Amino acid sequence: MELISSILGLFKDRGAWFASLLLSHIALAFSAIILAGIIGLALGIVISEKQRFAPVIMGVCNVLYTIPSISLLGILIPFTGIGNKTAVIAMTIYGVMPMVRNTYAGLTGVDPDILEAAKGMGSTESQMLFRIKLPLAAGVILAGIRNMVVMIIAVTGIASFVGAGGLGVAIYRGITIYNPAMTAAGSILIALLAIISDFLLGKLEKYFRKRGS
Amino acid sequence: MNSVVFSHVTKTYGDKTILNDISLEINQGEFVTMIGRSGCGKTTLLKLVNGLVTPDSGSILVNGKDLKETDKVQLRRTIGYSIQNVGLFPHMTIEANIAYVPSISSMPGWDKTERKEKAAALLTAVGLERDLLDRYPHSLSGGQKQRVGIARALAASPSILLMDEPFGAVDEITREQLQDQILKIHEERKITILFVTHDIAEALKLGTKTLVLNDGRIEQYDTPDRILDSPQTPFVRELIEKSRNFSVRV
Ligand SMILES: Nc1ncnc2c1ncn2[C@@H]1O[C@H](COP(=O)(O)OP(=O)(O)OP(=O)(O)O)[C@@H](O)[C@H]1O
Ligand SMILES: [Mg+2]
Repeated sequence: MELISSILGLFKDRGAWFASLLLSHIALAFSAIILAGIIGLALGIVISEKQRFAPVIMGVCNVLYTIPSISLLGILIPFTGIGNKTAVIAMTIYGVMPMVRNTYAGLTGVDPDILEAAKGMGSTESQMLFRIKLPLAAGVILAGIRNMVVMIIAVTGIASFVGAGGLGVAIYRGITIYNPAMTAAGSILIALLAIISDFLLGKLEKYFRKRGS
Repeated sequence: MNSVVFSHVTKTYGDKTILNDISLEINQGEFVTMIGRSGCGKTTLLKLVNGLVTPDSGSILVNGKDLKETDKVQLRRTIGYSIQNVGLFPHMTIEANIAYVPSISSMPGWDKTERKEKAAALLTAVGLERDLLDRYPHSLSGGQKQRVGIARALAASPSILLMDEPFGAVDEITREQLQDQILKIHEERKITILFVTHDIAEALKLGTKTLVLNDGRIEQYDTPDRILDSPQTPFVRELIEKSRNFSVRV
């Protein structure tokens, strides 16, 4: 109970500080989400069209995904220094995996009868992709986006270990000055951000899945 | 003029010969029904016509042009194709499904406003109501889907129509209605139709010619009354034994 009241006290006293951390958290996460989204989607499309590249690309993504986030940040420091840049790169690397996996699964999972009808009626390769496969894979791809977004929002929480901004700053400061309420306050905001994003993307996903059935 | 010509076409999958030295001429405006056991190569033969399958040897002419020298994408847009399992696009309305080929080929006369009327006219031609236009395929019955599949195949006014068991999922009465509708479409549009069926009665009722396939070879390719009157092989004789009492197109 004491913790809760001191968390609420912190929000009241240092509301502006938390708000600015929240905003920079969103900005950081958003950059990584956009980058991972574009790169992951592109890679997913490439490996579903040219299937012989699939094992290599999926393999690399899987390996990168298993590196613990804290050590990935550490590995990157000698190359990209400390700060937001390193954090965004690390989170992008994490975010790519679920995007590639779901894009690939979505595109290769389209009913072969539908593809045959589309091809037999004279669709070009790009018409097949943009008019048939991508719209039909949209639900599965959105599930990947949702997965990625939640993960990136969470991982951004440790970005402050390499000197980046965001709510991780509050978590880290709370640890160093031994103020558990501050750490908890930062974590709660991260969790809320993740839950709200997940909820909104879930609605979108449902819409696309319904349409694609 | 010949619409489709096969000369010595052979198609194998692995070490299995599916079609063996097929030679065949189909005249413009002919309604060819194709019949044979499951797995005898009927779908494969249809797909050879629109280039979805390439022959191992032999040549195929469509509207006088060798398929080897034809742009397949352009070719397919001029050949209506209704596949065995219908294959409607689930994310598109019935209207968008029907307008698919005109849309991918930016066909003139299919602007937003005209599109609705043209799609509605095609629905009427296959015996459906225009209020289906804004619905999605999942809300249609099996028979309705098959009709939409036919309407979609007709949309770009093709000169050739390939139909792979288009009346599979319907009851007898609906089937008869569909048969009459396709006969009417054939008479009105004077297009060449290749129509696969498992039902010998249907084959003989609809075809101006019937092609009997067995073991990768043509058993007989003849008018329905000649197939009935003078079956050329034991296979054909057996096939028609059961259908003596059905009506024949003359
Ligand atoms: N892509 C493929 N690879 C290997 N074998 C194939 C392929 N497509 C078809 N076959 C085989 O070729 C044979 C003929 O197939 P096809 O689909 O033409 O038969 P069908 O006469 O249409 O049969 P049905 O009446 O059951 O539809 C079958 O034995 C099938 O397994
Ligand atoms: Mg078949």
